[in-house]
Amino acid sequence: MTNILIILVALLVVATLVQLLRVGELLSEVKNQDVNKVTEKDNKSQSIIMTIVGILFLVSCVWQYFSWGHLMLPGASSEHGVTIDNLMAFTMTLIIVVFFITHSILFFFIYKYRKADDNDVAFYYPHNNKLELIWTIAPTIVLTAVILYGLSTWDKITNADTSESAIIEVYAKQFNWAARYPGEDNSLGSYDYKLVQGPNALGVNMEDKTSLDDKVTREIHVVVGKPVLLKFRSQDVIHSAYLPHFRVQMNCVPGMITQFAFTPTQTTSEMKDQEGEDFEFVLLCNKICGVAHYNMQMKFIVETQEEYNAWLAGQKTLSEKLLTQN
Amino acid sequence: MSDHHKETFISKYVFCLDHKMIAKQFLITGMIMGIIGMLMSILFRLQLSNPGESFAVLEWFLGDKWAPGGVLDPNMYLSLVTMHGTILVFWVLTAGLTGTFANFLIPLQIGARDMASGFINMLSYWFFFAATIVMLISLFVETGPASAGWTIYPPLSALPEAIPGSGLGQDLWLVGMALFIVSSLLGGLNYIVTILNLRTKGLSMSKLPLTIWAILITAILGVLSFPVLLSAALLLIFDRSFGTSFYLSDIVIGGEALHHTGGSPILFEHLFWFLGHPEVYIILLPALGIVSEVMSVNTRKPIFGYKAMVGAMLVIAFLSFIVWGHHMFITGMDPFLGSVFTFTTLLIAIPSAVKVFNYLTTLWKGSIRFTTPMLFTIGFVSTFITGGLTGLILGDSALDINVHDTYFVVGHFHIVMGLSAIYGMFAGVYHWFPKMYGRMMNKKLGYIHFWVTFISAYGVFFPMHFLGLAGLPRRYYTNSEFPMFDGLSDINEIITFFAILGGLVQLLFVFNFFYSIFKGTKATENPWEANTLEWTTPIERIHGNWPGEIPSVHRWPYDYSKPGAEKDFIPQTEPLKEGETEH
Amino acid sequence: MDINLKNNTSKQLLWIGMAGISMFFAGLTSAVIVRSAEHGWDAIVMPEWFWYSTAAIIMSSIFLIIAKMQVRKGISPTPYIVSSLILGLLFSYFQIMGWNQLTSEGKYFVGPGSNPASSFLYVITFAHLMHVLGGIISLLVTTIKSVQVKYTKENYLGIELTSIYWHFLDVLWVYLFIFLLVSLK
Repeated sequence: MTNILIILVALLVVATLVQLLRVGELLSEVKNQDVNKVTEKDNKSQSIIMTIVGILFLVSCVWQYFSWGHLMLPGASSEHGVTIDNLMAFTMTLIIVVFFITHSILFFFIYKYRKADDNDVAFYYPHNNKLELIWTIAPTIVLTAVILYGLSTWDKITNADTSESAIIEVYAKQFNWAARYPGEDNSLGSYDYKLVQGPNALGVNMEDKTSLDDKVTREIHVVVGKPVLLKFRSQDVIHSAYLPHFRVQMNCVPGMITQFAFTPTQTTSEMKDQEGEDFEFVLLCNKICGVAHYNMQMKFIVETQEEYNAWLAGQKTLSEKLLTQN
Repeated sequence: MSDHHKETFISKYVFCLDHKMIAKQFLITGMIMGIIGMLMSILFRLQLSNPGESFAVLEWFLGDKWAPGGVLDPNMYLSLVTMHGTILVFWVLTAGLTGTFANFLIPLQIGARDMASGFINMLSYWFFFAATIVMLISLFVETGPASAGWTIYPPLSALPEAIPGSGLGQDLWLVGMALFIVSSLLGGLNYIVTILNLRTKGLSMSKLPLTIWAILITAILGVLSFPVLLSAALLLIFDRSFGTSFYLSDIVIGGEALHHTGGSPILFEHLFWFLGHPEVYIILLPALGIVSEVMSVNTRKPIFGYKAMVGAMLVIAFLSFIVWGHHMFITGMDPFLGSVFTFTTLLIAIPSAVKVFNYLTTLWKGSIRFTTPMLFTIGFVSTFITGGLTGLILGDSALDINVHDTYFVVGHFHIVMGLSAIYGMFAGVYHWFPKMYGRMMNKKLGYIHFWVTFISAYGVFFPMHFLGLAGLPRRYYTNSEFPMFDGLSDINEIITFFAILGGLVQLLFVFNFFYSIFKGTKATENPWEANTLEWTTPIERIHGNWPGEIPSVHRWPYDYSKPGAEKDFIPQTEPLKEGETEH
Repeated sequence: MDINLKNNTSKQLLWIGMAGISMFFAGLTSAVIVRSAEHGWDAIVMPEWFWYSTAAIIMSSIFLIIAKMQVRKGISPTPYIVSSLILGLLFSYFQIMGWNQLTSEGKYFVGPGSNPASSFLYVITFAHLMHVLGGIISLLVTTIKSVQVKYTKENYLGIELTSIYWHFLDVLWVYLFIFLLVSLK
């Protein structure tokens, strides 16, 4: 019943619009005008509206920044993250300046150069090679700076020295994460996807001696100030390990290992003091992976060496979990 | 050359060989699909701003299965997001934009009777129609339409066990896309050959309207890049339906270890984005061409820097083939490769900047007429600047680390495609409507359409940059599972509000379009007082376009307000006067 | 449309179409290049039959060249077009025999007997054969029209178009064959 009503209302709206338009047309026929001709009055009103909307638009951008700026991520909690934030600030400043200048010019020209009356004539200016050269060279110079800055930042991040890094495997699957610590021998045991079964959720090869002291956990703990190398695997589809507070993101691809190296610089408790008691570092999935993609997370805790040791000691090794028969 | 064959309804409207009718077929199909795609976005935006809440309209459209109790099902959410992207990128902004304007304008603006092959042209539309039917059918299958994102990365898109939409829905999607690609290629062949061979006497390449240059370059891009998507899709079809391991390896799903080994999902990404990136320029270039035309006509000035505009488009097209990796910075690719792609991607900013400065200079000291197409042209310039600038952030690999796959990306690509390119399309429709249908579209409705769209669209997509910088990932059914995103719900509500407002006003455009076809004020032959050849054809529109001889061309298209001329425009068919120099 | 213009535009349409088809195979062959660089790429010996089919398609192209020479002299090209068609059909037959040889050697397209290299070999040769089917239809049409004496020494557009496409398939096959020989090592 409601459906029929909705359709009837829609038809009535359309019929009303049609009649309104017909009235408008008849009126202009009476006044002997073309209802669709763009008049000087139109030029004036539209250009003024454009200027007003333009200014309001630019003001709204500023308003949005001031209203929502505090919602953006806090400053990076990793060493390389600070370099990314600096590069971001540099590039953002650049594009914001260009944004405001070009838009101001645009809205100013729209206002100033409207066709005011029949005597208003445009200026026939087909080209000027010198100008073209200027605004080809200027962006080139600016972009060269942006490129060089960007590439050097990228190079430092991707070529980080990982000789001292604590290695942690991060394992992604629909729809949760697990972490595997290499244990005393500092070596992660080999794996085979065909071994994934029941409690051996990561498919670790327990015949490999280096697997025995590995620890699989449901949270990641790391030590503040110590370099970490995360190695990513996936069980089923592409996931993406996103640690926004550390400026870390890397796809987890079934069939290959990817990695990301970084050094956390702030402990979780430091961040809680700064951002509020509810703050947690979090690892989220950032590549569409299925129905529960929106809720695939793992806690990530940065702490002191002592706290970390205590936590790790409390975790069971794989030989305890998988090989001890109950 | 006038009607020499007896026309039936079928030969006039259905299996028509006339480029003007084929153009309208593309336009109407594109508009219908556009409404469907836009509706999908409203449905999923409701869920995003009011997670878990019940909406009668959701149940009305999606039924009890996909919106039980009026709450959107998470699988259907991903399907809506996927189909929205697919429909808008391919059906509206590629076929709807290029298919309409290339078909309509090429013969008219170059002075030809029709395309080089009317038959191939007709085939191009009917393959498109077939693709449309297949895609629409896929919306109704039991396990749901494709839902792995419009980018359909395997293994998610290859395994129905990973997500239901990757079953029959994905099969139909792939078939639909294969048909679409064939349609695109058939069209592209015609556009290139017609432009190169069928230009009227005097129309050298340096006198071509910029719209035609843009379409030519777009068609070349399409011929070279769409087939690679076809090869990617073919290998995916084999992995899905035959059990090969091109993209699949080491997978345990649904508790079962699959037999695939040796495949690489990254291979798919490379092949996909090899098309995917040129695709966005296939979308943008025709809009750039249209806007150049409309701006010149409505500022009564030549477009500034014709040669530079052509050169910039050529550079953009060339570069577009070597930047695809910027969609893959965090896949774990070799960092050196990442550097190369950053370099090439940021280079594209240079020709884009040149074009923006040239547009601004065209406006300078112009005599601007605020017709509806001109308003959309101004909107284009604004959104092209905004969207293009955020591209500098995304193209920089180090910065992409933290914004990849967040709403920052969603904001960027919507502003350049969903705003810029669509504004170009609207400008084209309003501008060439009199030539298509012999009538004018209503001015007041056009103004309302523009202003509400312009304000709403920025209202939807500008705030997304902030969501992205707050770390909010895209393609999330709800943001309520992470306390860190709790503060973003206000922004999401504002976005949905503007999305609904902007969506509704498009209905006004549709109404204006169809009303004006039948009841619009009759147009004159050259209502905008423009120079290009299409405005010399009679208002009644005939096969073969000109009743007698095809006019010859003597000058470039941009002699507006030329000093020493009687009127403020000189059509291309006017010979140069004694002592008159070219521009 | 005047006859010269029609000839030119038809040929250009075909050339651009072939450019598109080439890009399709470029996509497939890049996939091979990427994949062959990774581990797990087993060598495959090219089936003998593919050598025969290569010979067949080259010979069929030669016959088409002669056909064109003949029609330019005003002589009926029918016997040569027919020879080309027969060799084209032989090519298709040899391809299928090649696949049979592969399976008899235990190299399958899919399943436990397959490996990435064999899967690609099947896909690429299959994709090529599909395009050859189009060429064969074209040769059939040209044969029929030639029998009906539709071609003159002034206008033999159909033979030209068929030849261009057929030579393209020939060159494409030679390229793919050499490429696969090298990659499958």
